[in-house]
Amino acid sequence: MAGLLLLVFGGGVAGAFGALLGLGGGVLIVPLLTLGFGLPLREAVGASLVCVIVTSSAAASVYLERDVANLRLGMTLEMFTASAALAGGLVAFALPDRALALMFAALLLYVAATMARGRGADLAVKPAPDDPEAVAPAPAEAPGNGLAASLSGPGYRVRNLGRGVLGSLVAGIVSALFGVGGGIVKVPLMNLAMGVPLRVATATSNLMIGVTASAGGLIYLLRGGIDPYVAAPLAVGVFAGASLASRMADRVDLRLLRVLFVAVLVVTATQMALKGLP
Amino acid sequence: MKASRLERKVGLVLAVGSAVSVGLLTLGIVAMGASQIGPLDRPFPRFDLGRVPADLAAIEPAGFLWLGLLAVILTPSVRVAASLVGFAASGERRMTAVALIVLAIICLSAILGAGG
Repeated sequence: MAGLLLLVFGGGVAGAFGALLGLGGGVLIVPLLTLGFGLPLREAVGASLVCVIVTSSAAASVYLERDVANLRLGMTLEMFTASAALAGGLVAFALPDRALALMFAALLLYVAATMARGRGADLAVKPAPDDPEAVAPAPAEAPGNGLAASLSGPGYRVRNLGRGVLGSLVAGIVSALFGVGGGIVKVPLMNLAMGVPLRVATATSNLMIGVTASAGGLIYLLRGGIDPYVAAPLAVGVFAGASLASRMADRVDLRLLRVLFVAVLVVTATQMALKGLP
Repeated sequence: MKASRLERKVGLVLAVGSAVSVGLLTLGIVAMGASQIGPLDRPFPRFDLGRVPADLAAIEPAGFLWLGLLAVILTPSVRVAASLVGFAASGERRMTAVALIVLAIICLSAILGAGG
């Protein structure tokens, strides 16, 4: 019983951190399960994918209701994130655990560096759409074909769809290999390269995470990579933690939290790297 | 800003899917606690869709857990299917094709996953 509660609590902390810092929580869940509970990396990734889908579905429903997420852009990019997640899921079962651990350590360091530069906190703050800082500078005559124009939203025009496709492929592979949402790739890409306002990019990325993670998650489920005794309490904890944190985001010192989070990521990356070394 | 009807319906699908998933998973966790099953007990039950109804009827934790996990994983696909219907109804042929492709990729994942 104590183990069950510990797992729910651990999921709650990961979900709260993830929600406050604009991440899915997967970067914390996988190390929690492998380093904290001694689970094999692949089972940890399977459980993390479940958690990522739960938080994505819950958050995306609110974003759609408020008309913040761009459904058409998200679904167009999902063709590529889901394809790549399918490939990533198959590759994950072919790679040795040690290689996955080393690659995960590299991912953690990348996320830590991104957070240290401030991008991660930007994701959590979610400025208003009329905030000039929130929108990447758009050219006066936004180039683009009919498809890009049809995916644009009120006040912005989607551009560089090709770069969006490439970034989506990377995000999909990262999601299935490491059990994360891939928002750390998609949000800056949509905002900076494609001209999508930050708030819309964050919401659209959240919407896409569900389909991306479910393409990878199905492979884990059907190949015995999901432990229901671990995934269920963790997912409920993550759901509760993320829901609670989103209500108290205004009362938390995000700068302090970010410093703490970067420190945790660097220590965790070191431990994951040690796990991966022969 | 007010969401369009399609966005509202798709959002509702996700909200209902999340609530059902978390509800089923919570029932499974309660059943785990009642059956003295720990999260690190080995071996854990493998997914077998054919066993789920029998496990549910017997109030076995695995039945609720697998049904909840299936609901989690399939909720985004139901969202895509709902979007497909909405796009088709409104005559958006390009987006209908996009939704069909996304659904096909998810089906391919299931086929390749089952084949491994």
